[in-house]
Order: sequence, then structure tokens, then C-alpha cells
Amino acid sequence: MRSSTSYNLWLIAPAALMVGLFFLYPLFFSLYSAITTDEGGLTLAHLEKAFELYSNDILFTIIIVLASVVLLAILSISIAALITLSPFRSIVSLLGFIYRIPLFIPFIVTAQMMRTFLAKNGLMNNAFIASGMLTPLETVSFLGWSGIIIVFVWKQLAFCTLLITGAMAALDESQIRAARNLGASRIRILFQIMLPQITPTIGVAMILSTVTIMSVLSVPLMIGTGTPTMMATDMAFRINSYGDYHVANALGLVSYLICAGLAWFYLHQSLKEKGAI
Amino acid sequence: MLTKTKIIALASIGLTQFSGYVQAETTLNVVSAGGQNMVDYVKTYLAPKFEASHPGVKINIVGTGPGDAGSHKILEKLSAQKNSGLEHWDVDVAVVHQKIGGEMVADGLLAKYRSDIKTGTLVTRDSAENALGVDVNGYVMPMFHSQTAIAYNSDFIKTPPKSYDELVKWTQDNPKAFGYNGIKNGMSGVSFVTGWIYAYGTEAATLSSAPYNKDIATSWDKAFSELKAFNKNITFTPGNAGTLDMLNRGEIFMGPVWVDMFYSWKDQGKIPPSMKLSLIAPGMPGQPMYYVTPIKAENAQLAREFIEMATSPDIQAEGIVKRFNWYPGIDAQHVQGNLDKATWTKLFAEITPNDLSQYGKSFPIAPYFDDIKEGYERKVSN
Repeated sequence: MRSSTSYNLWLIAPAALMVGLFFLYPLFFSLYSAITTDEGGLTLAHLEKAFELYSNDILFTIIIVLASVVLLAILSISIAALITLSPFRSIVSLLGFIYRIPLFIPFIVTAQMMRTFLAKNGLMNNAFIASGMLTPLETVSFLGWSGIIIVFVWKQLAFCTLLITGAMAALDESQIRAARNLGASRIRILFQIMLPQITPTIGVAMILSTVTIMSVLSVPLMIGTGTPTMMATDMAFRINSYGDYHVANALGLVSYLICAGLAWFYLHQSLKEKGAI
Repeated sequence: MLTKTKIIALASIGLTQFSGYVQAETTLNVVSAGGQNMVDYVKTYLAPKFEASHPGVKINIVGTGPGDAGSHKILEKLSAQKNSGLEHWDVDVAVVHQKIGGEMVADGLLAKYRSDIKTGTLVTRDSAENALGVDVNGYVMPMFHSQTAIAYNSDFIKTPPKSYDELVKWTQDNPKAFGYNGIKNGMSGVSFVTGWIYAYGTEAATLSSAPYNKDIATSWDKAFSELKAFNKNITFTPGNAGTLDMLNRGEIFMGPVWVDMFYSWKDQGKIPPSMKLSLIAPGMPGQPMYYVTPIKAENAQLAREFIEMATSPDIQAEGIVKRFNWYPGIDAQHVQGNLDKATWTKLFAEITPNDLSQYGKSFPIAPYFDDIKEGYERKVSN
């Protein structure tokens, strides 16, 4: 029995070593660097500096993330519901094909596309002007906070819709059929039968999107202009311009905490629903 | 007899193959900071020329990315190799920005090679001796100089501003028509802000030379609050290329750009001929890129020969000035003879050599530079 336990431990050793070396070590190293001086003493100076210089940017990041996630939830649930419940199968299969396209386009390409699309004299405004809906003086540039949200929602929409459509498709078909036989409308089926059962999947999609959005550097750099800006830009600037890893890691610590806060909220909610708390 | 010939033929073929193999073993590792155009320059222009004159040598070029970040990666790699006590470092030639070049010399990472190469005497300008306060004499050869200036649309602006004061007035009369990229999205914005401090904070001569006096930075509060007010009248652009994009689309009519990028875009037809440049008083900073070779480079002699070729007058004329619209790294008079008149005058068409000597400034020494950037973050953008 003993020998089989140690044998099993040897089996997981390579995977555990890899996780430790490439995930846990860098994570803890960066957390350590955020709260220590070059000599190794504990300090809060880096965190203080991060908040002193970048508190507006931290707030801006949180607002951008929340706005994007709310829009994502509304849009991806609508698309998924249309795909699952619509009676027009041929349009649905076309929709099913189109919504997946952003999955295959990297963030940096999206940012570059949107840069020419959303600019004041860009493709979108020129199309409005050509169609007579706007005059050149009425056009507005979307390069800035609104552009950043548009890019994030556009890019993450496919991913969230894919997860949510999958969860909806996995629901027991007989429940929906039974509801329909009893005369429930499609909206009612969506809100009272489907959504309550797939809340965990929606939560996962939103949290994964939050983490992705927080980590993208190319979009705030290419679409965002001026200040405030997102934290990823500040972290890159601290390292590239000052060689200052401490404050960059302090900002990293703040973003870990934001993501951890969301994860805690989600876990807490799902445990509560299962009656564990 | 026939068999013998065959054997000899086969043997000679075998030998040539073998010797080819042996010769190709020498690889000269060139690492370059800067944009993709820098990597392409070495790969498509310098490498074929050098490989032709040095049979059996192969050049391996690696790019580390634009801005100080790219140079910083090279510094970190060399420091790591030094700290681990390696006998030979795997970088033979590096192309780095001015600021990091100085840091590398201060850290003892570079070889003092300029007196070993023939072209070493062709450069006399200040940036070959002093890198933002660090004495780099003998350790570096400038590859080229780049300069920032204000680009403007001459269809709309007949008399461009000649100084920061005139520019401020112009932006008050034409709100949102001037654009720059702040300090986090590219060096042309950093350069504009540095010029602002030269104009309203402390003059360039003091900030660009050692020693560092910590008190000077505290006197910039007024300059920063004026810059904050100025920022309300302008448009922010996404990056160096973003400024040129917006100029091209007519969203802004004026903005700071790198001169070489401006001329290259103009050559490629990406911005209209009506765009012109103006270098405003008291001046805007520019910087050189340096060729350096690490103190423990594996192919030290080849590295010197490579840099000698790259800084020779004909390569500087053809490769640096004509291809890239950069100002030459070696003194201009050595290059002039190798250039046709049209190319020469184009380079100095809007910014005359006189403007350049009067208003072409250096970046400040590293601690002042950090003070300017952090002051901007603290007092202007916060």
C-alpha cells in the first residue's frame, strides 16, 4: 500500500513541478517584489506610490471592466437565447457562424482594425457621412474610453456566447418542451427555466473575461488616448521607462486583488445557492 | 585514371561541402533595439554586404523591440551573463538607445573599441562622448541621429509656430487641432514634454549635463500646471504613428513627430506632401542609437569589423540617410560626398543645419529625465 502511494506521488511530480516552477514561483516572486525593497526588507512604499500616481487609473480600469462585463452579459445572453430558441433555423446557423469570427482574431489586430474604424474621420463616421446621416462637423472620435469598451466587448463576445450557448444546449430539452406545452412564451422560458440553471456558466464566462480584459496591453495602448488609462499601460510604462519592477508589481498586486475579489464574490454566491453557507 | 579523377572530383566536392559547413559555423550575433525597420535594415542591407566580404560568416539578427524597453532587455541579458560569470557572452554587436548605452558603460558591460576601428575618427559630435551625463568616449559609435520636430499641415497653417510660446497661443486660437501622445504612448510625446520643461522649467544645457541636483526638479511646478492647462486645448493621439495617422486624416493639423518616420511616411505616400516640419525654440530633444560591443563578445574582432563597415561613409550615406532619412551617425561632412544633391537637400529642406545646431537638443541625464516623467504623472496626468 505504502509503495503504491509513493508510486502515485511520482506520477504527479512532473506536473506539480511544472506548475510550481512556471506558475507559482513567478506569481509569488512578483507578489514578494511588490512589498519588499531591493535589500529584502518589507515596505509599503511601492503600494503607496502605486496608489498616489495611479489611483485614477485603477478606478478607470474597474469602471471599464465592469461596463464591458455588463454589456457582454446582456449581448451574449441575447445572442445565445436567439440561437437556442429561435424558430428560424437557417438564419440561426448563419448567426452561429458569424458570432464566432472574433474568436480567431487576436486582440492586437482587433485594436488596429478599430483604430481606423472608430477614428473621427474613420471608416464608420465616413460611412455615416456618405449616407447623409451625419455631417463632418457632427462626427465624434471613439478613440478613448468608449473605444476601449467597444473593442473588449467585440472581442470577448464570441467567447462568452460560445460558453453560454453550450450551457443552454446542454439543458434538458424536455423541460423546455414541457414549458412550451403549458403555454410559456420564449422570453418566459429564457428567464424562468434556462437562465437560473446556467448562472454558474455565465459567472465563469464573466470572470474569465474580466481577467482577460485586465491583462490586455495592446488595446489601451492603441485605442486609449491621454489619461486616465488602464493599469496594464501603467505597469508597462513603469518597467519600460523607469526599469521599476517594484511599483509595476505593486500595481500587479492590486489587479490580483481586484480579480480575487470578483472570484470570491462568485464562489460565495454559488456556494450560497447550493446551500453550503 | 578515370576512377582516380572521379575520386578526386568526389573528394573535392566533399571538401567544398565540408569547408562550407566549417565556415558557416561562425555566427555573428547582432541584437538590435528599436522598431522592426532596424532589424530589417541589418537583415536586408548590412548582413548581405558583410557576409559577402567575410565568407563563412553568418549574421544572426535579433530584435528586442522599440523604445528604451528594447534596449533594457539587452542590458538585462548582458548583466545576467556577467553575473553568472560566463567566459563568452552570446551578443557580439548590440544597437541600443542613448540612455541605456550610458548605463551599460557605467555597469562595465561594454568594450572600449572606437580607437580600434578606422571610422572611429569620423565622429566628433557630443553624443559620441557623452550619453546623458555618462562619459561613453571610446565605447560607442552612433549609428544615426534622430530628431523630433513639429509636423504641420501647410494647407491650413501658413506661418507655423516658431517657439513653444507661439505654439501655446496657437492652441488657444485653434482648440483640439494640436495633437500629441502624452508620455506613455511613445517617445515623440516624451520629447515634446521634455522640450516644454526646457522652455518653462530649466534650460537644456543644465539638465543634459552632470552632476544631478535634486532640488532643480522642485522648481517645475508652474511649468507642469501650465502644461496641464495646455493639455485641455489639445487632442491626445495613440502613439507616434497615431499622430501621423491623425494628421493624415485631417483630425489634427499639428503635432510632434520623429523626423525620420515623417520623411519615410512621406516617401511612401502615407501622408500628403503638404505636411511640413518646424523645429521650435528653445528646442526639442533628439537622440542617437549606438553600435556597441560587449566586453566579452565571443567574436570581438568580427564585431569591430562589422561596426567599421556599418559606420563607413558610403554605408552611412546609402543605408542611413538615403534609405531611412536618418541623420548620419558620423559627422555629416564625411557623408555629403557620397550623396546626390537632392537627397542631401531633402534631409535639410525644412529643418536647416542651422536650426538643427540651434534647436536640436539632447535628452536630459537619466535622473532629471525620470523627474520630468514622474512629475508629469504626478502633476499633469493625475
